[in-house]
Amino acid sequence: MKKLTLTAALFLLSSCGNPQPGEPTAIKNPDTYTYLTISDLDSLDPAWSYDTASHLVIFNVYEPLLGYKGSSTEELVPVIASQVPSTTNGLISPDGLTYTFPIRPGVAFQDGTPLTPEDVKYSLMRFLLQDRAGGPSSLLLEPILGYSSTRDDRGRVMEKAFQEANSRLQVQGDNLVIEIPEPYAPLLSILATWAPSISKQWAISHGDWDGTESTWKEYNNPQKESSYLFEHMNGTGPFMLERWDKKNKEIVLLRNENYWQAPAQLRRVMIKGVNEFTTRKLMLSAGDADTISVERSQLSQLRGIPGVAIIDDLPTIIMSPVVFFTFHINPVGNPHIGSGKLDGKGVPPDFFSDVDVRKGFAYALDYEAFIQDVYQGKGTQATGCIPKTLPGHDPNAPHYNHDLKRAEEHFKQAWGGQVWEKGFHFTLTYNAGNTTRQTLCQILKVNVEKLNPRFKIDIRPVQWSTYLSASQKKMLPMFTLGWAADFPDAHNFVFPMLHSRGNYPAQQGYKNPEIDRLVEQAIAETDPGKRKELYSTILALAYQDVPHLVVLDTVDLRVQRDWVKGWYHNPVLPDSAGGGDFYPIYKDATEM
Amino acid sequence: MASYLIRRLAMLPFVALGVTLLLFALLQLLSPEMRASLYVKDPRQLSALESVIETYHLRDPFPIQYWTWLKQILVGDLGYSETARMPVAEAIKAFFPATFELALTAFVPTLLVGIWLGTKAAVYQDRPLDHFSRFMAITGYSLPSFVLGLLLLMIFYGRFNILPPGRFSLEADLFIHSANFTPFTGFLLLDSLLNGKLWIFWDALKHLILPAATLFYNSVALLIRITRSSMLEEIHKDYVRTARAKGVEESDVINKHARKNALIPVITSSSLLLVGLLGGVVITETIFNYPGIGRWGVNAAQQLDIAGIMGFALVSATLFVLGNLAADLLYAFVDPRVRLK
Repeated sequence: MKKLTLTAALFLLSSCGNPQPGEPTAIKNPDTYTYLTISDLDSLDPAWSYDTASHLVIFNVYEPLLGYKGSSTEELVPVIASQVPSTTNGLISPDGLTYTFPIRPGVAFQDGTPLTPEDVKYSLMRFLLQDRAGGPSSLLLEPILGYSSTRDDRGRVMEKAFQEANSRLQVQGDNLVIEIPEPYAPLLSILATWAPSISKQWAISHGDWDGTESTWKEYNNPQKESSYLFEHMNGTGPFMLERWDKKNKEIVLLRNENYWQAPAQLRRVMIKGVNEFTTRKLMLSAGDADTISVERSQLSQLRGIPGVAIIDDLPTIIMSPVVFFTFHINPVGNPHIGSGKLDGKGVPPDFFSDVDVRKGFAYALDYEAFIQDVYQGKGTQATGCIPKTLPGHDPNAPHYNHDLKRAEEHFKQAWGGQVWEKGFHFTLTYNAGNTTRQTLCQILKVNVEKLNPRFKIDIRPVQWSTYLSASQKKMLPMFTLGWAADFPDAHNFVFPMLHSRGNYPAQQGYKNPEIDRLVEQAIAETDPGKRKELYSTILALAYQDVPHLVVLDTVDLRVQRDWVKGWYHNPVLPDSAGGGDFYPIYKDATEM
Repeated sequence: MASYLIRRLAMLPFVALGVTLLLFALLQLLSPEMRASLYVKDPRQLSALESVIETYHLRDPFPIQYWTWLKQILVGDLGYSETARMPVAEAIKAFFPATFELALTAFVPTLLVGIWLGTKAAVYQDRPLDHFSRFMAITGYSLPSFVLGLLLLMIFYGRFNILPPGRFSLEADLFIHSANFTPFTGFLLLDSLLNGKLWIFWDALKHLILPAATLFYNSVALLIRITRSSMLEEIHKDYVRTARAKGVEESDVINKHARKNALIPVITSSSLLLVGLLGGVVITETIFNYPGIGRWGVNAAQQLDIAGIMGFALVSATLFVLGNLAADLLYAFVDPRVRLK
């Protein structure tokens, strides 16, 4: 009997089909591509979401008017439009104010309805007018309407926005014509990843905006979950949404067999949230994952694994990590600010509005230690919020260095000396699973706390989607995030990080009218030399204000199974190093 | 026995009420805004907390608040968990079956091996089997689950590419979420059998082996030591000597006389053990990427998801109360003195 049991156990183990060590591993799940990451999705609504994790899915399901040609960040190709407008082909008027986009015939949504120019117009109108606070709408509001929000300074919806948008976006036969008030050089680049086309009929039939003037204000700045598009998709792209399992942080995309270009080679793409690095690593080495999210500090653990390829030194257009200060913290039910007073047991809601507090933190951070320890020297200290890969970057812009003596001086001056005397206690947050940001928080905590025993900082990880909501609601006194380019232009960094209507200042409650004016002036400036000067001035003002702490300029890396083929890197695509464009990817063991 | 059972069952609602009262009293340390998520049914309400506060009397005296909350939880309305991104009741329904399967897969062998090995270790005191049991107990105690779990994962998954983490493989994942599979209960092992899909049963079992083995090894140590010491005490008592003197067979002396009496402390610790396992095993679930209630609980705690924390606490408390009840009933079964008191 005992022998029989042993034989049965051995049989079961051997039937598991495990390869012997040294034997080549066959491709697991050859038509499914699995990406393990640390982020979960915020929303699938293309007019709402403005984070990399969500945008990655949206990018592969919906399609914008134009796209980037492979790895190029300059050359554009037509997608929903059948031609890229230019002055040469006459689709951009000589004064640079009228853009004509011929809409590609024969494109259908995944539910089978054909795409029309009216759908494209509706998608753009919805993108502009939905305009949720801190959302992506400003990307197109600025060039098309000439202002970056549909609401005034007091938060009232501006009546004129609908009429202006409606007159500037016109369907003329098979074309969509966009008229802009001033020349705006990056417009085509923005339309290459943003405001993808959705089906008007489908959206309306599921309770979304009906496209009329009488109702648009009801859909302005909506709740995240209020739209059907929050968790449902119907695009024209190469993949369709099969399932979004929020509980297990898993999203599954299925190939669109009727894609207007040839169907993708992958049948499925699975994006899974696995916060534990060791589990991600083991799943990659076992072949159950094709690529995983990795931080540089974890790289040494992945070297030498058979079948795993490391692709390093990928150029980036990114500024991360960045530490942001919230100038007006929302105190209602806020667990992160302790007592809510400057009594050593908490911080008042306007704690960071004192520039000396911010400067104290800026001098306390040990930038060099972070770059050496976490990035193993692969990077240089950032000089302002414009990455060095973009024109407008100023290598000589003033920046803070680690200097505890000066940090102490500023803390002693902050709040009339009360900060130094009474101390403070608050929570510094980072998105769960991001060990790079976690280490940054720890370095900052250690350096600040050693200045004065009454300074106390707690560090807490927060799940990605909750993190985004909390920062939008101004609940986080100080938080670490980053910014990846929406389009390759310095404006896409100074606006979201320094302009009062931009993504981060809107959340932080930061406003410097002079910076706002200069940012607007710089985007309208056509002379590259003058534009560069303006950006240098902006960075110098930001140095004085310290609304955030930029840390380093670096390169990216990707870790994948060597059977993954067809992937290309384009730093403008969402999460390019981990995700990017799934359409050309396939799995093949013979080419290794 | 019947009156004992009725007495114990009659106590149950009072104990449960006491637990909810305690939990709710602890909540009062938080501001009304933070407590409001307990009453939210839809995430859209999260940005209109003031109306939630008014509707549910969150600024009213404690008894009114408690009564409003109690009425809610009695109909299964436990608020909205931001971590799980779903109502708490739904989250419990979604996460608990996975934990239940894991707990049971670990608990049954723990109980059987623990009692068997503990008994043998006592009977063969200071002989090789006793030394072996001691070795198991010491290593089981001293190897933390995150070390043992990772070690097992590295060997059986990393090296041999069998027994993967997660709850199911990609093929099973796709099949389970297809129209061909009906999730009758949420318990994957059971559902796979009800659907007549043995390969899914085997797939789910393969994913359970390593986390269950980790839990088994960490938990069995306790049962071995308790059974052993309790057995040692019993086999040196007079009634055992008398039984032997009367010529009762040694196996009957051990199994029928001594072990039954030795089981009383084992029942207490194994019921607590089961409750602990059912309440979620945070580290093991995290390492094996196993979507159980423990992983959710720890996420909720880290992110101050008050509704999630309360939901988790209620589940744990309910399990604890039921576990104690089960232990009490088992005492009565093995020890007539308990039911006759």
